[in-house]
Amino acid sequence: MKSEPDQFRWVGLLCRVYAIALWAYPRAFRAQFGGEMQQVFRERCRAVARAHDLANLFRFLALSVKDWLTTSFRERFGHNAGIKASLSAVARHPATIWMLAIFICFFASTTMVRAYVISAGSMEGTLRVGDHVLADRLHSKARDIQRGDMITFLYPEDTGQTYVKRVIGLPGDRIRLSGKQVIRNGHRLEEPYAQHVASSTDPYRDNFPVEAPSYISARGREMLARHVKNGEAIVPSDSFFVLGDNRDISSDSRYWGFVPRENVIGKPLIVFWSYDAPTDELVGWNRTYLADLAQHFFTKTRWARTLLVLRSQPAQEIQP
Amino acid sequence: MYMNNHPSPQDLLPLTPPVFHILLALAGEERHGYGIMQDVARQTNDALQLGPGTLYGCLKRMLAAGLIEESEERPDPALDDQRRRYYRMKPLGERTVRAEAQRIAAALAAAKSKRMFAGGKA
Repeated sequence: MKSEPDQFRWVGLLCRVYAIALWAYPRAFRAQFGGEMQQVFRERCRAVARAHDLANLFRFLALSVKDWLTTSFRERFGHNAGIKASLSAVARHPATIWMLAIFICFFASTTMVRAYVISAGSMEGTLRVGDHVLADRLHSKARDIQRGDMITFLYPEDTGQTYVKRVIGLPGDRIRLSGKQVIRNGHRLEEPYAQHVASSTDPYRDNFPVEAPSYISARGREMLARHVKNGEAIVPSDSFFVLGDNRDISSDSRYWGFVPRENVIGKPLIVFWSYDAPTDELVGWNRTYLADLAQHFFTKTRWARTLLVLRSQPAQEIQP
Repeated sequence: MYMNNHPSPQDLLPLTPPVFHILLALAGEERHGYGIMQDVARQTNDALQLGPGTLYGCLKRMLAAGLIEESEERPDPALDDQRRRYYRMKPLGERTVRAEAQRIAAALAAAKSKRMFAGGKA
């Protein structure tokens, strides 16, 4: 009896791949014959390896793939299933599902969703620096945006940057802030998502709109000059008033005005991965970041935030 | 060949080439899967290479039709110490493979009578 380890490492690898490929067969078939099929496959691999013939190896691989495809279909759907049955069978076949998934990853993703990394803390409390977020791109028409939704949009002052903020005001809404409290259309908002980190108050940031301090941009000044009436900013048509959840350190509509509808890209959907790294290292794939990633992937990944679904959070309007 | 309650060999003909050669491989000798695969390749001068899916798909249907049965599980001393499932032919399988050989012989005779077969002389 001989049971030496395979001298060719790829034999073991191929056998593991084949073990996974066996999932294409129906469960009962797998349970009855799966182990034997793996044995047979391993013996064939060894025989091919001993032959030291590359052409033979490729023939063997081609034959194995063809055998796997045809027989897994046959075992699932039978010889004489009709075209309709075979089509639905094809659709449910694991190989099809995998190919579809790969297709979506490569082609559909760029038009339907996009991945972003959060590199600033203005939404802290909801989105943290290092959160990797998938956002859809289907709201470019921005028809169904509600108060309380988070949106991704092109920063009006520099459309090369994508921002994420929360929609506070829709067209026609009257907005003001008094002592950090947002008042919309005369109702105080109870905002569970908002956080305040500064104990002091700022005359402009926390009481809005008032006389513009020097650091307000031209766009911000235009908003204050043209859209403020009776101490309230009135959101013009085809625009949104947005604020960051980390209210005291957020650069938002208070400083640079409304977000035009055409700047809206979509809504963030899910945090698919969250990595605890300094902001400047997250931007771009530089060497320090990659080294850090390789070393600390498991310890610095915020597992509790990974695969976190982001939901709209409408604020409670409190009657005066 | 899918029904167990029609045990007449004629109902199962013609056999597909893999089934025919698998039955021949089991003639007079029980074999495990890889042994069947090797013997079929020998019988056909490597023209018929059974992949594991084809082999076990056939074995499944042949078991269901009552042509073969499972034998014990034991290691093959020529390979390694892994236990392997052996298969052996049942009487129905033997009658069927004989009937198929007869059918092929008749077909061959017909081809010869039309001068459509030149090779295969003893």
